[in-house]
Amino acid sequence: MRTDLVESALRHGLRIATLLAASAIVFGLGLSNLLRNVDRYEPALVQFGALALLGAVLAGEAVLLARGRAWGRLRLPVVALVVAAEVLSYTALPAKSTSTGVDWVFGAANWVGVAVLLDRPLRECAGFLMTHEVTAVLHLFLFDHPTRGALARFATGSVTVVGFPLCVVVVASLLHRLSVSASAAHLELERVRTADAAAAEAHQLRLRRYGELSATAIPLLEGLADRSLDPEDAEVQRECAIEAARMRRLMAETNSVADALLHELRHCAEVADRKGVAVELDTRGRWPEPPPAVRRDLTEAALTVLATASSRARVTVVGTGDLLSVSVVADCVEVPATVPSAPGVHVEALHHDEQVWMEARWQPTS
Amino acid sequence: MAADELITAVIVDDHAAIAAGVGAWCARAVPPIRLIDAGDRLAEVWTGPGADADVVIMDLELTPGMPGFGELRRLVDSGRRVIVYSQHMEDAIAIKCVDLGAMAYLTKREGPDHLVPAIRAAGRGLPYTTPSLSGAFIADTAADRPRLSQREIEVLRAWFVSSSKELVAAKLNLAAKTVDTYITRVRVKYANVGRTARTKSELVSRALDDGLITLAELNEQPDG
Repeated sequence: MRTDLVESALRHGLRIATLLAASAIVFGLGLSNLLRNVDRYEPALVQFGALALLGAVLAGEAVLLARGRAWGRLRLPVVALVVAAEVLSYTALPAKSTSTGVDWVFGAANWVGVAVLLDRPLRECAGFLMTHEVTAVLHLFLFDHPTRGALARFATGSVTVVGFPLCVVVVASLLHRLSVSASAAHLELERVRTADAAAAEAHQLRLRRYGELSATAIPLLEGLADRSLDPEDAEVQRECAIEAARMRRLMAETNSVADALLHELRHCAEVADRKGVAVELDTRGRWPEPPPAVRRDLTEAALTVLATASSRARVTVVGTGDLLSVSVVADCVEVPATVPSAPGVHVEALHHDEQVWMEARWQPTS
Repeated sequence: MAADELITAVIVDDHAAIAAGVGAWCARAVPPIRLIDAGDRLAEVWTGPGADADVVIMDLELTPGMPGFGELRRLVDSGRRVIVYSQHMEDAIAIKCVDLGAMAYLTKREGPDHLVPAIRAAGRGLPYTTPSLSGAFIADTAADRPRLSQREIEVLRAWFVSSSKELVAAKLNLAAKTVDTYITRVRVKYANVGRTARTKSELVSRALDDGLITLAELNEQPDG
């Protein structure tokens, strides 16, 4: 199970517990205190009104909870309603009764407010509890002319009235923070796993490329290193040029470009271009994207001629109907036609009057 | 006009370097071609020495962004043999110029190897098909394109790819003259579709006279 799912289940449970606690306090403790002192209020009807307001807020919270939704934009007006219920209750409270059993709202409205603000940041809950406390303090000093005993009683009462809900709110906020760091850790883990997979894939690709190069390039390099091959020899130079073009093509091999065949051909042409060969690349028609093995056969013919061209080369790609043809015409020594490995590819070489024309054709249907 | 007779061409191009370069190629050609530089003034193609030139070489975009199709049409309709020398590579523009009756369409990447033969061909009232125009024909997918035979397409493709008629002939086991015949047949087929122009009808009637193409082949309808 994902950590954020665990966290959201925990928070959901906490919300239910807070709602149940707030309901029990309002309708159990609050209502029983109210009924026991019903003849002391001025008038009692106001207290029932305040209780009804708190009850309405709790009912709203219950409905939202059942639907799995939050208060949203209604939250602030609802908190204001809780504070209003509290103020309403205090207007009809007899003197010298703040934080006594008669003052039922002191120990009840706080829980209702916390139930509404449970999923908000800690400071919002603390702010509400502070407002709650200040309302009671105002009543205490304005109407009660408190004695030391009354002050001590109020202070003790405040510990439970503010302290307990605050504990719940702190737990909720801790849960939230835990979930944020858990999901960050989860994302980081995903990222590391993706990077690992990508690195493994790249490693495989490099191994494959190395394997391909080792068949032709490594013997050439070894020959050069142990001096069994002479760098002055035209044939060795030709082999080197072909290997350089193959390496260049391997590095250019990717499926993420719009036209992979042209992309690779441009890289092959660049190798010849660097040698001072004037390369023209011209294309006509359209063609389906050839699979990598076919692409390699098509470009192999081109790069073999390009690597040995002496001054000019014309590379053309023609796609018509069911035929894709890659041709190179260049002034170079006679080279044998390359041998294609993919099915459906045919290579022809023509040597005529100091010019070589190598053509690789691919017929996707054959 | 005999092949060795002096051909006069007039070039209208707003780039002085192009006119000078073409002038040098013409002077070096054997036999040389006389070139009149009209600068960017189309009027000099109609009056003065330019009016009597055998061949008109025109830059398609004397006004940037405005291909001069109208001017090309007026020149062709008055019987002038026009070679379009353009920086445009688009196939559709090349085919449109041919359809309007241009004798040849060259991109400015194509140098003296193609421009000099094109001027000579135009001087004799014959079309010249450059490799780039060949490429435009093989890639043409318009519904009203003429029906080309498999062999004609092969020759066009080989000419586009190799830029050398000797190579085309060697590759396809044909005589060099036969290669030309196939290419001209394609031009005749293209001349026979679309709008009629004096140079185009001359080309078609001449091809029929020479037996290059038969009336039945000309009247074949395209697939679409």
